[in-house]
Amino acid sequence: MKILSDIAALVTGMWITWKHIFRRPVTIQYPEEKRTPYPRYRARIVLTRDPDGGERCVACQLCSGACPVDCITMQSAEDKDGRRYAEWFRINFSRCIFCGFCAEACPTLAIQMTPDFEICKRDIMDLVYEKEDLLIDGCGKSPDYNYYRHAGIGVTQPRGSGAEEKPPVDVRGLLP
Amino acid sequence: MPKLIIDDITVEVAEGTTVLEAAQAVDIPIPHFCWHPALGKAGACRACAVKMLEGPVKGIQMSCMLPVQDGMVVSTTDPEAVAMRRHIIEWLMINHPHDCPVCDEGGECQLQDFTIAAGHGIRRYSGKKRTHVNQDLGPFIQHEMNRCIQCYRCVRYYQEYAGGTDFGVMGSAGRVYFGRFQDGELESPFSGNLVDICPTGVFTDKTARFRARYWDYEMAPSVCSGCSLGCNTTPVARYRELLKITARKNEAVNGWFICDRGRFSNSAVNDPQRPRTPLVDGRESTRDEALEALALRIAETEQLYGTGSIAIVGSSRLALEAALLLPQLAQLTSAGALCYFTSEEERATTTSHLGLLSGGTSASQQEIRESDCIVVSGCDPLQDAPMLALAVRQAWRDGATVYVVGDGIVLPCEFTAVAAVDAVPLAAAKKPVLICSASCNSDHPAGLLVQHSQLKLAVIFPAANSYGAAQLAGEQGGVSLERAVASGKIKGIISVEADIPAHLLAGIPFVAALDWRMTETVRAAQIFLPTTAWVEMDGTSINNEGRAQRFKKVMNPGLPIRGLDPAGHPPHLHRTVPPGGEAQPAWQTLALLIERVSGEPVTEPFSGRWERLRGLDAGSEGVMIHDL
Ligand code: SF4
Ligand code: SF4
Ligand code: SF4
Ligand code: SF4
Repeated sequence: MKILSDIAALVTGMWITWKHIFRRPVTIQYPEEKRTPYPRYRARIVLTRDPDGGERCVACQLCSGACPVDCITMQSAEDKDGRRYAEWFRINFSRCIFCGFCAEACPTLAIQMTPDFEICKRDIMDLVYEKEDLLIDGCGKSPDYNYYRHAGIGVTQPRGSGAEEKPPVDVRGLLP
Repeated sequence: MPKLIIDDITVEVAEGTTVLEAAQAVDIPIPHFCWHPALGKAGACRACAVKMLEGPVKGIQMSCMLPVQDGMVVSTTDPEAVAMRRHIIEWLMINHPHDCPVCDEGGECQLQDFTIAAGHGIRRYSGKKRTHVNQDLGPFIQHEMNRCIQCYRCVRYYQEYAGGTDFGVMGSAGRVYFGRFQDGELESPFSGNLVDICPTGVFTDKTARFRARYWDYEMAPSVCSGCSLGCNTTPVARYRELLKITARKNEAVNGWFICDRGRFSNSAVNDPQRPRTPLVDGRESTRDEALEALALRIAETEQLYGTGSIAIVGSSRLALEAALLLPQLAQLTSAGALCYFTSEEERATTTSHLGLLSGGTSASQQEIRESDCIVVSGCDPLQDAPMLALAVRQAWRDGATVYVVGDGIVLPCEFTAVAAVDAVPLAAAKKPVLICSASCNSDHPAGLLVQHSQLKLAVIFPAANSYGAAQLAGEQGGVSLERAVASGKIKGIISVEADIPAHLLAGIPFVAALDWRMTETVRAAQIFLPTTAWVEMDGTSINNEGRAQRFKKVMNPGLPIRGLDPAGHPPHLHRTVPPGGEAQPAWQTLALLIERVSGEPVTEPFSGRWERLRGLDAGSEGVMIHDL
C-alpha cells in the first residue's frame, strides 16, 4: 500500500527532527566560548630557535619557493661567524592560505604552524608580519634539532666535529 | 656518418662523437659530472652509465667515453643502467655534507638535479663523512671543499683550458683536495669560471654570497661591456641589485667562458653614487622639466653664439640605439659638431682599423681558437681583451704556432718572440690570424692583408661599442670633440654617456649630460638626465669583429631595496615607480628630446640599413653588420 509507506516515511523524518531538538547542541558560542584546537592545527606561522637559542632559519628560500601564494619573502645574509641568517623575513598573512607547505619544506624546522588562528586586523597592512613579529623564543615542536650540528660548513662547532663527521683530512699525508 | 639507435630513436652523428653527445643531440638527458663540452671526457665520475644492447660493444658502458659506431643500440632506461647510476650517485653522496640550505649552489646545482633524477633521497650509509679545511681564495671565489665529488672539472679547466699554474689537485685516495698549495688569491684572470664549471657548490661567487636563490633570480641574455669583445653573459639580479654575472654560451664568440673582469664587474651598476635624478642647475627636477630646460638652453646657446655652437657627443660605450639617434639630434639642433670620440687620436686609429675589417676579414674568437698560426702584434690581449688570450691558448693546445711581436707581453701559452710580423711564415699557414690593437698605429696591418689573402684580423678596440661608434662616425662625418673644441666655435656640449676630459669642458658655458655613471662630465653639467645601465635596458652593441649583439633588460632601474627602509626590511609602502627609477635608456630620452624640438615622435631607433637589427634575437650568435 503506497499510503502506508508514505506515512512511515513521514513519521521517520519527524522522529529524527524531534530527536535532534532535544539533543545537546553542538554549536559553540564563539567568541564568548573558545575551543582549543589540536596541536597540529595550521594557523599563524612562527620562526623558532634552536636549542642553543640561535635563530634556526638559514634564509634558504625553500619556504618562499614552496609557498603557492608567494606570501613569504626574505633576504639572506652572512653573519660574522659564517652563519647564514635572514636579514629580514616577511610573511604577508593577508595572503597566506595556511596550507603548511612552508613548514613542510623547511629543512631546519625553523618555520612552524601554530594553532593561533585569531589574527584579524582592521588595517590589512598590519597583517604583514616582519621577522620581529614572527621570531619566538623557543624551539616549538622539535626541541632537539639544531641544523648547524649536521651542516658541514662548521658554524656552531669547528669543521669536522659535527655530527656524522670525521676530522678534516691531512691533504699532505702520505699514508694510504 | 655512424648511425645508432638510442632509446628507440635513430641518431646519425659525425664520426668521433660520443654516445653522450649523440643522446644530447636528440634531447635525451644522461647524467654526467666530469664531462663538459669545453673540457671533453675524463671518465672520472661514472655517472653517465648506459647499457649497450646490440652492436660492437655490449653491456654497461660510460657514454661519455664511448665513440659512436655504426649499429649501436643504446638504452638509457635499462634497469641495469638505471641501478648503476643510482648506486654511483649514492656513493658520491656518502661524503657529501647536509648543506643544501646554506649552499649558494642550491637550486642551480647539477649534483642536486642528478641526485633527485637518480631517485636517491634517503641516506642508507651510516658511517662518518670525510671533511676538509677550506682555503681563502681571494675576494671573488668562495671555497667549500666538503662538497666536492672529485669530478676533476676544476683542475682540467684551470690548468689545461686556462693555463693556470697555481691551482691543482692534491692528496690521494678518498682525500683528494682541489685548491692552491696555500691560501691566496687565484692568479688566473679566468678563475671565475670555476664557479660555472664546478657541478657542485665547492666554488661559488663570493660577491653574491648568500644573496638569493635561483628561482628568485631576474636573468636575461646580455653582453659584457668590459671590453670590445662583447662576450655573452647572463647577469643575475634581484631587488634592483646586480648580484653576479655568469657566462652564456656563444660558440662564435666567447664559447662557454668569460674573464674575471667581465664577471666581477657589478660594482659600477650597484654604486650608491650613481646619479639617478634629473637635475637642472643642481636642483632636482622631473624628467619633463629637465627636457624642457634642455631644449630651451640649446635654443638660447644658439641665439647667443650663433648656429653650430652646439656639439653632440656620444661615446664608444654608448649603445647603438642612442648612437643612431645622435645624427638626427645634431641635424635638428643645427649642431656644429657630431662627435663619437673625444680624442682625435682615438677617432683616427679606430676609424682606420675599422676600414681594414669591412671586407669580412675580421676573425671571431672561434676562428682564433681554430687557427693554426697566430701573431700577436704590439698589443696585450690579457690586459685589453682577456678572452682573446684564452682563445689563443686553445689554438695553441690544438697545435697552432703563436708569434709575438713586442716586449713585455704575457700569454697563457708558449709563443715565439719575433722582431716584426715579416718574420712570421704567414704564407705557409692555412688559417692565420693577426691580433692587433686599434690604439697602436705603429704596425698597420693593411699591407699584410693585401699580401696574404687568407689572413684574418682580430682588432682590439678601446671600448665595448667602439666599432659602432667608428662606423657611425665614418658614415655621418663625425669629428672628434678635441678638434671641434679647438675650432673655438663650440659653446655648448650635450654629452650622451661620454667621458669628456676636464680641459675640453673648461671654456664651455653650457654642458648637458645623459649618463648612468657619476663622471666628471656629469658633475660639470648644468642639466643632467639619468640613463640606464646596460643591465637595465634592451640594447645593441657591436663588438670588435663587427658583430651586432642584442642585450636584454635584466632588472628595473632604481635604488636597490636594500637600504631603503631604516628598519632593514623593504618599506611597507606601495608606489608605481621605485625611488630613483626615473632613469630610461639613453635613446628614449634622446627620442623625447627630438620630439620636443621637432614635434615628430621617434618610436624606433633603427631605420634605413639598420632596420634588420630590429628583431635581433639576444640568444642568437649576432649579426655581422657588413652583411646588413
Ligand atoms: S625554509 Fe626554513 S630555513 Fe629556509 S628560509 Fe624558510 S624558514 Fe628559513
Ligand atoms: S653542492 Fe649541490 S647538492 Fe651539495 S650542498 Fe650544495 S646545493 Fe646541495
Ligand atoms: S671542486 Fe668541483 S669541479 Fe673540482 S673536482 Fe670537486 S666537484 Fe669537481
Ligand atoms: S673579454 Fe672583455 S667582453 Fe669578454 S668577458 Fe672579459 S671584459 Fe667582458
